Amino acid sequence: MSRWYEEPGAENDVVVSTRIQLSRNLAGVPFPTRMSAADRHDTVRRIHEAVFDPNSSLSDSFQFVDMEELTENQAVSLVERRLVSADFISDHAGRALMYAADESAVLMINGEDHLLIQVSAGGLEPDRAYEQADRIDTILNKPLRFAFDPEFGYLTQSPMDLGTGMIASVFLHLPALTDSGATPRISSNLSKLGLFMRGVYGPAAKPLGAVYQLSNHVTLGLSEPEAVANLKSMALQIIAQERAAREKIVRNIAIKDTIWRSLGILLHARLLSTEEFFSLISVVRFGVAAGEISGLSYEKIAALMLHVQPATLAEESGKRMASVEQQALRAELVREALKEMGRQ
Amino acid sequence: MLCQYCGRNPAVIHVKTIENGELSKCSLCSECARELGYGNLLTGLGQDFNAILRDFFSGPQEREEVRCKCCGATFSEIARSGKVGCSECYKTFYDRLLPIVQQIHGSVSHRGKVPGAGLPQVRQSGQLSVMRQKLREAIDSENFEQAAALRDSIRALEKGGEP
Repeated sequence: MSRWYEEPGAENDVVVSTRIQLSRNLAGVPFPTRMSAADRHDTVRRIHEAVFDPNSSLSDSFQFVDMEELTENQAVSLVERRLVSADFISDHAGRALMYAADESAVLMINGEDHLLIQVSAGGLEPDRAYEQADRIDTILNKPLRFAFDPEFGYLTQSPMDLGTGMIASVFLHLPALTDSGATPRISSNLSKLGLFMRGVYGPAAKPLGAVYQLSNHVTLGLSEPEAVANLKSMALQIIAQERAAREKIVRNIAIKDTIWRSLGILLHARLLSTEEFFSLISVVRFGVAAGEISGLSYEKIAALMLHVQPATLAEESGKRMASVEQQALRAELVREALKEMGRQ
Repeated sequence: MLCQYCGRNPAVIHVKTIENGELSKCSLCSECARELGYGNLLTGLGQDFNAILRDFFSGPQEREEVRCKCCGATFSEIARSGKVGCSECYKTFYDRLLPIVQQIHGSVSHRGKVPGAGLPQVRQSGQLSVMRQKLREAIDSENFEQAAALRDSIRALEKGGEP
């Protein structure tokens, strides 16, 4: 079965993917910070029953994972593959997750709230992703009756998330804006509007691969469709800025040279570090969008980015590897993935 | 603790990321958090959630603090952690949480999805919502005596009694 990131989506020269998250809680049960082990266990059981109820239209598509049974490396790999957040794996006790076979829908249990419903889609598809998240929420609300107040909306552990409990995000590839040094200014301006734009891969202070998450954190006082529309309109503005910045540099022979050299290294290298891989694949993705490189899809690039990170490679090989071994395996998988694109 | 990015200002936000196959933590000041796209609704405006909670909790300590009947949390525990104890706390500490919610989100109320459309549900009586509106106005105008009386009537109404 293909995964959600292997399906093409709108505006994908700049937009990698879209994600909707809905925070929900069970009424009358302490929020996660104040939960006992028994409360956690009971909450996992209740949500499990609701999802796997034979009469529920969700039942056949979800897999269950008990976080307590995972090694630290397996948990990190879940974050690398974008199934869960880094915050969610910072504590395994009493936490669980369920995910659909195509990984588009994930339910995280006992993280910041009792339940986080997450839906991802390739490209700029916030309306479609929201519809799917909304559908799961409606199905699960019947047996679970989520905590809600007419004035405060969905009740959440942090007062920041009250209201819709929704964080809508678009993941953008911004190599030209990163190169021109514009991203800190854009992030800073957005933060005054309740929107955030942060690097997705690698250290917070030095993100890798020029992939950014743009998200709307305004949850109270506007409806879900309004929040999605605001995010979409802001994303379209940034997409236009990125395209304009690309237009300025794309005819430069030095840039073309960098694109082809980057592809050359990915096609032939025998050792690739995480940093080098991300910096090269970012340039190659830009080369595809600029029409320089053909025969390589955005979906294949997206899948590669998710699958050659350290913890996921260690899972793939079944062991913890020395740095050189890891770099060799990464280079091999990249060559393998790019082989089909043919000789240019 | 100083910001790990600029090394100059005090860190106000702690973020978790994955670095080289491991979970790692990074502490940032509000300015760097804004530039790197981390933070929350308040840091974006140059405010600090913890400072706001402290402000709302600067009054004299109550000798016997009210505890939420559902989860046992006191308001001071909520203010210290920034985490509400359970969904019932929003009723138990309504009058003290309301100004905090207003400070974070502005003076607004929920306009999004209402769960269980099509299912029978308990509707908030018109009277209750009018009284909550009055309570908000009383708190806004710092008319605390009236606010306390309104709060008691609202609680009585919520329990199904007469105000």
